[in-house]
Order: sequence, then structure tokens, then C-alpha cells
Amino acid sequence: MLARGKYTRWERSMNMQQGTAPALDLDGLRKSFGKTEIIRGVDLKIGRGERHAIIGPNGAGKSTLFNLITGRFPVSGGSVRLHGQDLAGMAPFQINRMGLSRSFQITNIFPAMTVFENVRCSLLWSKGYKYSFWNLVARSKDLTDGADAILEQINLTSRRDLPAGVLSYAEQRALEIGITIAGGADVIMLDEPTAGMSHSETDYIVDLIRKVTENKTLIMVEHDMGVVFGLADQISVLVYGEIIATGKPEDVRGNPKVQEAYLGAALEEEH
Amino acid sequence: MTETSQKTAASAATAKAPGLTFAMVLPWIIAAVFLILMPYIFTSNSAITIMNKMAVTIIFALAYNMLLGQGGMLSFGHAVYMGVGGFACVHIMNVDDFFANLPLPILPLFGGLFGMGLATIVGAFSTRSAGTVFAMISLGVGELIAACSIIIVAFFGGEEGISGDRTYGLPFFGVEFLQQIEVYYLIVFWLMVSTLLMYLFSRTPVGRMANAVRDNPERAEFLGYSARSVRFYSFVASGFFAGIAGGLFAINYEILTEGNLNLSASGVILLITFLGGVGFFFGPIIGAIVFTLLQTVLSLQTELWQLYVGALFVATVMYFPGGLAGLIMMHTPAARLGKLKLLLVPYIKTLIPGILGVFGIAALIEMVFHARHGAVGEEEMTLFWITFNTHGVLPWIVAIAVTVVGLWLAKRNAPEMKECWHAANTPDGSAA
Repeated sequence: MLARGKYTRWERSMNMQQGTAPALDLDGLRKSFGKTEIIRGVDLKIGRGERHAIIGPNGAGKSTLFNLITGRFPVSGGSVRLHGQDLAGMAPFQINRMGLSRSFQITNIFPAMTVFENVRCSLLWSKGYKYSFWNLVARSKDLTDGADAILEQINLTSRRDLPAGVLSYAEQRALEIGITIAGGADVIMLDEPTAGMSHSETDYIVDLIRKVTENKTLIMVEHDMGVVFGLADQISVLVYGEIIATGKPEDVRGNPKVQEAYLGAALEEEH
Repeated sequence: MTETSQKTAASAATAKAPGLTFAMVLPWIIAAVFLILMPYIFTSNSAITIMNKMAVTIIFALAYNMLLGQGGMLSFGHAVYMGVGGFACVHIMNVDDFFANLPLPILPLFGGLFGMGLATIVGAFSTRSAGTVFAMISLGVGELIAACSIIIVAFFGGEEGISGDRTYGLPFFGVEFLQQIEVYYLIVFWLMVSTLLMYLFSRTPVGRMANAVRDNPERAEFLGYSARSVRFYSFVASGFFAGIAGGLFAINYEILTEGNLNLSASGVILLITFLGGVGFFFGPIIGAIVFTLLQTVLSLQTELWQLYVGALFVATVMYFPGGLAGLIMMHTPAARLGKLKLLLVPYIKTLIPGILGVFGIAALIEMVFHARHGAVGEEEMTLFWITFNTHGVLPWIVAIAVTVVGLWLAKRNAPEMKECWHAANTPDGSAA
């Protein structure tokens, strides 16, 4: 089992050695639903180890962009490259196996399973168990210890044996982050990880994200500017399906186009 | 044996030392001893016939629940896999040269392989999605093969089916399986093996992911698992165990007909599994036992037994969707608090009148049926060991009185039972 586990890690490190390709490379990415074009040619390079936030007004297409990258929706045009490899036509599970993992805007866990079991399920593939029916999950120390370590990291050890569905909202969000990082993916995408949280909960989740994404590439959609400026070292602004600015937080903040877009959108919303 | 309590028990055990604990093995030992002793308790031939039927149904129901309960796939045509496994085994029995060299206990394995083979073919296209699409494909394939069974006479034997003789096999340590009791132990052996394997399957990576895909296929996809592949493997495994059940059926009855793989056979297994409870591994076992008893014992008492089974099924779906297993497991929190005894008196006070009321209704139904459809001139009927004249007034008054009083008492005492239920599930110290 250990050997197979190593193999996946080795595979991943092979991918990483493929030149100096950015972690994620979007080239002329487009998506239309019927006649409506939601993503209108996005070019974006996200370097390894970067913490990249995608911000923008409501309806700008941020979640759609996430869904295109992770294979949830098929792209209408352009390409997505992960560590230099084209993801065209790949299913979500294939993309996940290449080292990209995501969370969802609306909490997406296994509510009927215990917290421990949620995490264990998310470890199975990366530990090399695949579709095996000759191993018993409870007998693998590797899996049990691995899942317990993740629970420790996300501070849910005390909730270990409860059904995930009974956890508080913030705990469920923390669990989802745990599930997202458990497989050891090196590109982590979080879709509004702090949406709907109180101040203290937000602080807690931000610390958690910082802790668990160390040395990984982090891409997140976020509305809370406090979170964005606290976590991100690069920001892209998406407005009506196009990226109007990319750069360091302080540069983006001072960018007149961004200010106009945000102000414009805010005004529109008021009307 | 709830999903969660067992999981926690298992994981708590592994946290200390991964390996088998006595508590994990104990239920299996008890079951094995129980099954071995059964023929000594119920010695009559008809009892053994019923137990054989029960054991085969248990395997089939557990196999079906690998789809419905574990994998979230509602199949309307699963009898096909059991049937094809059974037909294959009868054909093997009829290949004299081969069968003469094959010990009979091995035969069900071939049934399993044929069931699995068919499931591999059908699963390749039917497991693409769960839900309605899967259900409709299973219905279509089920109907297709049931129709084939009348057309392809060479394999299915047309309307009279095909038959074989199990005793032509290679004697197994001198046993030729001439007697029912020998067949009983053969079936029980396969029952233990299949049940253990199906249970262990649910604890493997692919078995755990079957649950994950059932609950949230999208999340599973983003964890590196193809929901379709997970469903496919469950489907194939389920086909295998259904085929084993078919092989045992062939050994037990030595005949298979279209009735073993048609839609009504598929419907019955869905009913059994749901009645027992899909949410627990052992649910289908209870369902199979209860259904077989109703089917064999109750059907001797009344022609209307299917009406009662139907009513029981509807009541299960409406009032306790967890099935009989869910009804039992509902009591674990109270048992853990050591407060089960609180429930005893209210149960007696509510359920006994309730059951009496239900018997009253059943008596009325039976009497109407007898009065309307009984042979001319035959006015006497026997019900609950009492013989009376259905054309007299008194029996009707008694039946109506029992029904009304029983149901009224049950209704009157129900709030008290509810209160005690609440009390039994509230830990001491916390405000109710």
C-alpha cells in the first residue's frame, strides 16, 4: 500500500518538474450558456505557491470560472493548463487526480457520514486505494492516522464521530476545507470559504486556510476584502467575464479601473 | 449494528490496535451456531423447506441492498441476475460429464460468475447515472430478459422452465444431497460466506465510496473517484451475490422458470429489502425472514395474505421508512441511557390494544371475504381458532367491538407512550 501511495506522490512530483510551467494557466478561456457569454476570454497565469484571490462584483462569473477550471462545466473556448498539462475534456475526478482540489460555494460534504469518515473518504484515492475491494479501510493505520491528523489540523477532533450534517455551519466549512486538502493536492481552490460567517468565525477560517495551504498554490473566490487582503499575495479582478486587473493587493486597490468597476457595480445594484 | 455505531466501534478498535476484536467476531459466531442448531429446534421437513427458502432470500436481499441501500441505485429488474445464475446452474447440472465431476457445493459459484457476467454487461451502460435513468434501464433490461425467457427456449426452457437433478453431482465427502437437511447445510454455508463477504465489501475502499457516491456523487468526483466506476463495481458485486442466490435456488428446487426472473420477482425483492430496512446492513435479513414467514405460514391461513403484506409495506414506507431494522435501531439511544425499561409498560398499554384492533380489522376483512366468496351452503368459518357462522349477527358485533375498543384504547394511550419515549431518550440531568 505504501509503495502505491508513493507512486502517486512521485507521479505528482514528476508533473511539477515539467519545466517551469505555472501552476495554472488559462488561455483565452470562454464559456457561453446558450447565447449568453459568461466568461469572455480570460487569460491568467498563477505561479506555484501563489495565493491568488479572484474578486469581482456579483454575477461577474467567478464561480463559473472555478467550474470551468475544475471540469464541472465543459469549456466553450480556450484552454486550461495545470502544471503545463492541458485539461481539455477531462472529468473532475481526472483533474483531481492531477493534483487540483476544490471546495464549493455551498457546503458540499457527505452529511450522513461521520466527520472522520468524510476525511477518510477524501484520503482514499491519494493513498492509492483506488477501487480496491481487498482492503478493509478500518485496518489501515495509514488511513486512520492520516484522517486523524487532518482532523487535528482543522480542529474537529472532538467532533470525530458525529454525523457531519449535525455540525455548525462554520464547522462544516472547516470540514470541507479539510476534505479539500486531505488528498494532498498542490493546487487548492476555495470558493467563498467565509461566506455567511460571523467575524470570529471568519478569523478562525482564515487562520485555518493559512495553516493548511502552506507551500501550496491557493486560488480563492472571496467577497470579504479583509480576508482577501489578509491572505492573498496576488489579486485578479473579474468583471463581466473579463479580467480587468491582476497584481499585488496594493496595486489592485489603487487601480482606477477596479475602483470604477466596483463603484459602478455597487451603483447598479442599488438601482 | 447501525452504520455509525459499528463504524465508531471499528475505528475505536483500530485506534488502539488494528485487528480483529472479539466483539467484532461475536455476532458472526452466534449466527453460525444458531444456523447450525436450527434444524434441531425445528425438525419438521416443512420447517427446513421454509428455512432453505429464507436463506436463499436473505442472500438475494442483501445483494439487492448493495445497490439500493449502499449504492443508492433503485433497480426494478434485479431478479434477472439471480435468475440467470440459477438457469446457468441448472444447465450445468444437465451437462452430465462435467457435473459428475463437480462437487455440488461448488455449483453456486458458477451461478455467481454468470450473474456477475451479465451484471458486467448491463452495468457497463446502466450505471452511468443513478436515479430515474438507472431505474428505467433496470426496468427495461429486466423486462427484456424476462421476455427472452419465453422466446429463447434453448436456455430458458419456455413456459415450463428447465429442471435438473442435484444428486448427479460428485458426492461431497460421501454426501449426495438426497435429503433436505443436507441441502440446508449447503445453503447455510453459502449464506454465511456470502453475508460475511458482502459485509466486508461494505468496509473496503470501494464499498465506502459507494456510500459516498450515494450521498453526494459530485463531491466524490472531486475527490478523485468516478461515480460511474464506483457504481459499476457495486453493481457487478451485487450481480455476483444475486447469482449465488440463484445457484442455491437451483440446488434447492432443481427447477427454474420464467417466474424467477420476471418483474414481479424483482418487485418482491425490492419489497423485502425495503420492509427490512435499507439503511442498515442487517435490514434485508429481517425483511427476508419476515416476508418468507408471511409467505409460507400466513398463506396457509388465508388467501388474502398478499393484501396484508401489501398493507404492511405501505405502512412501512409511510410511517417508518427505516424499515423493521430502523424500528429496532431507533431504540439504541434509549438503550445506551439504560432507560429501555421505561418503555415497556407504555408499549404494552398501547401496542397490545393496537394489535387487537388490527386483528379486528383483519377479522372483518376475512368475514366479508368468506360471506361473499365462500362456497354456497358453507356458512361456517374458522378464524383465530374459533369456528362460527358468518351469516349470523353475533360474530360481526364481536369483530366490530374488538376493532373499535382496540383502536380506541391504542389511541387513548398513545400520548402516554410518546411522553415515555421522550423521557427514555433524554439523559438524566438535562432539562426535558
